[in-house]
Amino acid sequence: MTSYSKEVIRDLAAGKLPWLQTRRIMSAYKDDDRFFKIVAVYQDRVAWKDPILLPVSDHLFICQSGDERITRCECGHSFGDYRRNWKLNAAINVRNTEEALREIYPNSDLPDPQWMEIREFICPQCGTLHEVEAAAPGYPIVHDFEPDLEGFYREWLGKPL
Amino acid sequence: MLDKPASALRLRERLLDSERLMEETGCYDGITELTLRNQDPLKFETLHTKLRAYCVSAREMARRISASPGVREVGEMVVAIYTPEGDAIALSNGIMVHVHTMSRFIKWMIKNNYEENPRIREGDIFANNDAFIGTVQVPDVMDVVPIFHEGTLVGWAGAVCHELEAGGITPGGDVCLAQERFTEGLFVCAEKIGENDEIRRDYVIRCERNLRMPIYWVLDEKAKVASCIDMRESVKQLISEIGLDYWVKVSKEFIEEGRRAQLARTRQLTVPGIYRGHTFYGHVTAGKPGFQLLGDPDWLYNIPIEMEITTDGKITMDFEGTQPWGYHSMNCTPAGMDGGMFVTLTQHMNFEGLVNDGAWMATELKLPHGTWTNPDNEMVATATSWALLLPAYGVFQRLLSRGFIARGFVEEAFVGQVNSPMIEMGGESQYGTPFGMAHFECAAAGSGALAIKDGLDTAYVGWNPESDMGNIEVWEQSMPMVYIGRSIVPNSGGAGKYRGGCSFVSTWLINKTSHLRLHTSEHSSRVFDNGGMCGGYPAPTCQKHRAVRNSNIHELAAKGEPLAHAPGIDPHVSDYEKNIGGDHVVVEGPYITSPHKSGDIFSHSYNGGGGYGDVLERDPIKTAWDVENGFLTREAADQVFGIVLKDDADGYPVADIDATVKRRAEMRKQRLARAIPVSDWIARERGRVEKADFAPEVKKMYASAIKLSSRFTRDFSDFWNVDARSIFTPGAKS
Repeated sequence: MTSYSKEVIRDLAAGKLPWLQTRRIMSAYKDDDRFFKIVAVYQDRVAWKDPILLPVSDHLFICQSGDERITRCECGHSFGDYRRNWKLNAAINVRNTEEALREIYPNSDLPDPQWMEIREFICPQCGTLHEVEAAAPGYPIVHDFEPDLEGFYREWLGKPL
Repeated sequence: MLDKPASALRLRERLLDSERLMEETGCYDGITELTLRNQDPLKFETLHTKLRAYCVSAREMARRISASPGVREVGEMVVAIYTPEGDAIALSNGIMVHVHTMSRFIKWMIKNNYEENPRIREGDIFANNDAFIGTVQVPDVMDVVPIFHEGTLVGWAGAVCHELEAGGITPGGDVCLAQERFTEGLFVCAEKIGENDEIRRDYVIRCERNLRMPIYWVLDEKAKVASCIDMRESVKQLISEIGLDYWVKVSKEFIEEGRRAQLARTRQLTVPGIYRGHTFYGHVTAGKPGFQLLGDPDWLYNIPIEMEITTDGKITMDFEGTQPWGYHSMNCTPAGMDGGMFVTLTQHMNFEGLVNDGAWMATELKLPHGTWTNPDNEMVATATSWALLLPAYGVFQRLLSRGFIARGFVEEAFVGQVNSPMIEMGGESQYGTPFGMAHFECAAAGSGALAIKDGLDTAYVGWNPESDMGNIEVWEQSMPMVYIGRSIVPNSGGAGKYRGGCSFVSTWLINKTSHLRLHTSEHSSRVFDNGGMCGGYPAPTCQKHRAVRNSNIHELAAKGEPLAHAPGIDPHVSDYEKNIGGDHVVVEGPYITSPHKSGDIFSHSYNGGGGYGDVLERDPIKTAWDVENGFLTREAADQVFGIVLKDDADGYPVADIDATVKRRAEMRKQRLARAIPVSDWIARERGRVEKADFAPEVKKMYASAIKLSSRFTRDFSDFWNVDARSIFTPGAKS
């Protein structure tokens, strides 16, 4: 069975593994112990102790916090119950003018701000940009991911949550 | 296991029986146990490898027969071997989209009693390019031949080429000006075009008299038929070695194994749950010559997708809430939607093991009737269905990637494909003859970023995993234009910790022609039709066309003056305007205009992919390299990424790490100072929503989605705490 050391997984997740080694990992059979190994890598990375249950973005994790399961930023900020859309508890910056769009696209043709805006969802504590939505004005904020956490642990990982 | 010998049933009965067995057992053709695989796995795998080798070899041979640079140079071809009921067993590389569309074509003939009339006999050749029967768009012409063994139909061999010219209202294959089926070009509707391994002369005459460049289509037909005969003979030889009964059983076990492998792969790589995403497409044609006012000329398309992964590993994609079909060429049939799903799965999940129709069987598409994904009118045009398919399946790639990230397989996360706008042309060639063609250098856009590295530059399109822009010299042989530039477009990848792959732009001098029609398709306007992920930005995919009519380029060249070889990096004034005299033209969206002639200049840029991760985490050293090599501008490095560059002794950019750290800390503070709580923003925006204070096209988009989808209406109303129906469709019956 394919398996890699925690150090290899750490470097892979950080984008620091040499490309040839990364390429071999991409081409090989997948390592079945990956999930718990990468969770351990992330757990080392964060400064808080709540056990990580699921990574959901580059710096966002669902974790067990006391009796609650919450979405937490790597910096520690809580976005609340993991079943609710974390974006609703984020800070937002909307780019809906040519001037604001030009800051990100200095040398390109721009979308029409009457047709499209950029929404930046930011951690209110550390300022990390967690997600960007490109949407028509008035479009509801999308709830990206509602994991079946119970089903995942019970039926796919064969472990209690 | 339902252990069946070669069936004596009629084909139609066999197909219905196979579908019933799948329904009853949940397994392909009722195969509940992989007996042959379990008996001798090595023999099983070896046979599948042989079949795949037959396909790859037949395709490579056939590409040498084609006259089309699309097939020869860029590889716009795929071949596959099918069961008698039309399910793909093995396929070649190439445009794998069509493996399942061909399956639909075969099944359509079976269900329409082709056994009775026009009969299915050894040596017959059937062709199709009708998307409502089974293809994506009119230029995707497919040929299939039955495989008989001692009088019994034991399978089919099939091949598809993307034709560079389809004889539609505008030249090329993706007929951008088609607004109904009747202007899309030459249709071959599940037609028997040959017997005794020979293409009928009257069919060839029809092609010759209805196409602008029949040599492409006709020689592609010969290439496809040659590949089918090659595969057929190989399969017959194989059957003579392993026996008919073994063939019948093993070919179906291959598919069931493919289905199981897909389910297992989903369980291995992802996390069950509901995934959501959306994208948009802006269609702007108001005032453009040739567009009939059959519907609104400008349209904003929303493409929301909800994907569910269940704990058994099944993936379901639901397009509810998207827009209706329209009087344009971007509609798609369920066959096309299947094709998009299949080619994405084969690249992202099904790249190991037995790649065949089994993967598709482990998924489900929900395509709301009446939308562009499933038109309730078979007269609609589908010639440029990729315009909406590509953004849609880019969303699919991001949704899958969310699952890969959650499961820890970060190396598989991929921000996905983007639209690849295409140039098509016709008129008088450089040889003084009539011509028409699609320019396929678009088969090399920038890819989305990965979660661990930048995207691929000028090297990826979702519709052809063998992405290739082709050689300049080959394209120049086929069209009355010569390249004066082909270069990377700086900043064309979406910004992020890992940037999207960059695209390229080509600039041509129109040469040796007095009449060149140039058109473009799959070109979104006014919106981003792609997205970033995990904090990455979308790529700037709403670029305009720039051309110069009556240019003074020959005078400049004679004087040795500098020319312009690309639009440059000033979005307000292009390098063409700075360096070249003439009548400068800037066109938004599809390029539909009067013909060009020698001395004119035309440029066309392709799309880059979306970015991944927070821009303020991008590696400064890599960014300096990007600036040095033209992938990013200094302005973007500083303003977007917060990376301070200085010049080394030789004038090359190097990152000033300390200054960058300070600048980024400042930018992070500015970010927080500028941002407001989402709850405040929602409270503020609600007033705008209640007043429907939006551009007419945005309001129309909401009204259309609300009319077609109760779920969209409910979600919109719940989110804003408003009555969406009364705001956008007042007076309409609920």
